[in-house]
Amino acid sequence: MSNINPELVEKFTAMAQAVAATVAEVPSKEDAFKYIVDLCLSKDPCELLADEPGTEKGPLGPNRVPTRVQRVLAAPSLNDEDFALLENLCQEKGILCLRDNVRKYAAGIDIGINEAVAGVAASGTCLCPTTDEDVRLAGMISEISIVILKKSDIYPDLPSVAGIMRDAIGNGPEGSFTTLITGPSRTADIECVGAVGVHGPLMMHVLLLEA
Amino acid sequence: MQAPKTYGEYSKEIDEALNDPQLRKTLDKYAITYRTNRAVVMRDIDEATLIHEIAEFKDEAAAHMEELYQQFKAEAEKRGVHVYRAATAAEANQLISDIARKEGVKRIVKSKSMTSEETQLNHKLIADGYVVDETDLGEWILQLRHETPSHMVMPAIHLSRYQVAEDFSKVTQVKQDPDIDRLVKVARVQLRRKFIAGDMGITGCNFAIAECGAITTVTNEGNARMVETMPRVHTVLVGLDKLVRTIDDVMIALQILPRNATAQRITSYVSWVCGPTKWKGSPDGQKSMHIVFLDNGRTKVAKDPIFKQVFRCVRCGACTNVCPVFRLIGGHKMGYIYMGAIGLILTYLYHGEDKAKILSQNCIGCESCHHVCSGGIDLPMLIREVRNRLVDDGDGNAMGSLMKIVMTNRKMFHNLLRFASKAQRPFTAGTQFQRHLPMIFMKKHDFKALPAIAEKAFRDQWGDIAPKVSNPKYRVALFAGCAEDFIYPEQLVAAVKILAACNVAVDFPMDQTCCGLPLGMMGQRKAVQTVARQNVRAFADGNYDYIITLCASCGSTLKKQYVNYLANDPDISYGVVTRFQDKIIDLSSFLRDVLDLKPEDFVNTHEKVTFHASCHQCRALKAADKSRELIQDVADYVPCFEEEVCCGFGGTYSVKFPIISKEIITKKVKNIAETKAERVVMDCPGCVLQIRGAVEKEKLGIKVTHLSELLADKIQPK
Ligand code: SF4
Repeated sequence: MSNINPELVEKFTAMAQAVAATVAEVPSKEDAFKYIVDLCLSKDPCELLADEPGTEKGPLGPNRVPTRVQRVLAAPSLNDEDFALLENLCQEKGILCLRDNVRKYAAGIDIGINEAVAGVAASGTCLCPTTDEDVRLAGMISEISIVILKKSDIYPDLPSVAGIMRDAIGNGPEGSFTTLITGPSRTADIECVGAVGVHGPLMMHVLLLEA
Repeated sequence: MQAPKTYGEYSKEIDEALNDPQLRKTLDKYAITYRTNRAVVMRDIDEATLIHEIAEFKDEAAAHMEELYQQFKAEAEKRGVHVYRAATAAEANQLISDIARKEGVKRIVKSKSMTSEETQLNHKLIADGYVVDETDLGEWILQLRHETPSHMVMPAIHLSRYQVAEDFSKVTQVKQDPDIDRLVKVARVQLRRKFIAGDMGITGCNFAIAECGAITTVTNEGNARMVETMPRVHTVLVGLDKLVRTIDDVMIALQILPRNATAQRITSYVSWVCGPTKWKGSPDGQKSMHIVFLDNGRTKVAKDPIFKQVFRCVRCGACTNVCPVFRLIGGHKMGYIYMGAIGLILTYLYHGEDKAKILSQNCIGCESCHHVCSGGIDLPMLIREVRNRLVDDGDGNAMGSLMKIVMTNRKMFHNLLRFASKAQRPFTAGTQFQRHLPMIFMKKHDFKALPAIAEKAFRDQWGDIAPKVSNPKYRVALFAGCAEDFIYPEQLVAAVKILAACNVAVDFPMDQTCCGLPLGMMGQRKAVQTVARQNVRAFADGNYDYIITLCASCGSTLKKQYVNYLANDPDISYGVVTRFQDKIIDLSSFLRDVLDLKPEDFVNTHEKVTFHASCHQCRALKAADKSRELIQDVADYVPCFEEEVCCGFGGTYSVKFPIISKEIITKKVKNIAETKAERVVMDCPGCVLQIRGAVEKEKLGIKVTHLSELLADKIQPK
């Protein structure tokens, strides 16, 4: 497609990978959803980081807390048509696909899906509107955070997305919440040694849509 | 947290830090990896331009603080935010406690905020009966240990994994291994339930954007957005200095801040919170958002013609990361609440003279911070200004006052030095060192041999050695500085030889005196002005093409500081000062850029020579590469590890803080020895004094000279 700049795609990919994100190119939404469902099935079971009465618990995970037996995926930002498509794929595999009520699963879910409105090539960053609490939580409490980004929405640097940020923030009077996401959560607070997976996702995958 | 009240007290604290091997190891490793990683991520941006842009929009914001506050308030209120303003720290804490009470809050979760450290918010909230949990990993560790941050970005940098494992074992009642990855996950598990149970989240903010009333938080761990999202109430504590005009400004700053803070291109998350959103913890729930702006002296500072520069600070911590003193003693001993270079200044501005009196002396003046600051703040100048104000307010010390009396009277000063040259004879045994100083003077200074005053000062030799040059290419004057003139005149003699060989006429105006740097370091502003006037006048009538100095420290004082000291001077016009300043040049730049000397102008004897890039040569005058090129012309240059790191002299600094000075020079000399060079050269007599003294003490047999001496040995007569 004419408005895809291969150089920006390449740069974005390299920069995202440099901060331990996985980048995959997907020709269509449907391919993206298949990728997500496969990932959900192949990952280790999600650890329950808090009590969740009534939830079926599996064996202890690596951090000595129970795991969730039911695989859970949240995709609250998808439109009706896309959500139906994903939900269908999930149902076939026995995965619970959430569109709302994400807060109820704050102890942890397997995968959360966000859709970016812009990417920043210089740092491998995704600009995600996250005003809706469910959308925001999907990217926060999941073990794997997935961001879907159209290749044609990649811009060179932060100043070039200032206008998109301004639109995302909006003019009020409603409040808004917008997030720049770059790689999984990380820290170097102990002895300046880097470690990933603190209070947010352990991993991040960016799916670049051929659009 | 306590601020030292006397040098004695402070010296004990410093000793403690120096004897903490874990701290030393971590900070040392960090200093080196930070420098390397920062250089890598800075490569893909135009660092200087971005820093300049940040300085510009932050200056503009500080100048319009009130207007931006009003605009922010209107925008935020339009979106349903409650906006407050607190004149003092106590007022801010009270406001936040009241908000919590009115909102029916019991449990509070916090993400890291230096501003809340400034107001000591946690004490207040805990005293008022709230359960407060810090959720940033480092801050949480500190909370468990009842400690305070030792770094603005990495608050627990002073602790080891073993200490953390012990604390985590206690809190979880399960033995935790000292495995960093696992320890991080302990925090993940322990804190998730606290986010869920929290009634109110408190964050700071990096930028408060006036155009839309949004606040941004820049984080890696993901705790800030948890704190902003899970509880029903979100309260923000923000200094008025965080106001900026536009989203575009933030986009500029975000390219430097994370690179400077942790050598990242950007952090994992940047949240842009613009008013309360729906809260789904209850049906029809709505978040409640409160923003408390803290003044605590900020509006006053914004009007201060000199200190207003501090508002360019984006709290990246880079000034701490590159500070050679921080690298040795850490943030607990180099700050009160804020630490590092900016910390010394903010302690004075936000926490008062009393707390800053001793702390503000602990800057060696190496310019490293100035060189990296996200806002291009002239931090060393502001630290000197703190000292100036302390002296203005009667808080000077005896050493400073004595120096002022002696050094502002050139004849008295120079006669005293001449007298010292004779009086020291019993102690020098005819060498360049004071070999037999009574031990009482030596206690903490025994890491280096102290230099002797020269037999005959340069000024007293000048009549005999002044060369005659017919048809000179240039007419230059030498600015000697005290150390060259009275301790190492041979360095100047060498320079005269080179210049004469290159057909340059040299003059030495006798009325010149000390450049004033040591006085400036003591906060003796008036005394600096006195000697500055005298020096400018001494050279004013000579009609020289250039004024050459062999002392990089003098050079940077003359070239960079005189315009400030003599701005609005009643006796000397601005034009005279700038003409003087424009003529100042270091020897290397003169030989390289003006005379354009080439390898064929020298005999290269392939002596193995390494280099110490004096702080003021590399960072203030930015001329270290010229020196390196010249070394390569005449010798086999061997680069030295950490060549641009300070030698620990810092003039009066090494007198006030000998134990720190000793640690720094020990490392320097080790690095020099490892090059296996026969000689090390530099552009500053102060560094020669420090390095030669330590090399002599260690009996390393490496020649330590000024670059001029090396060049004079190898110049080809024309
Ligand atoms: S003074 Fe400059 S270097 Fe230091 S924290 Fe502030 S912005 Fe960063």
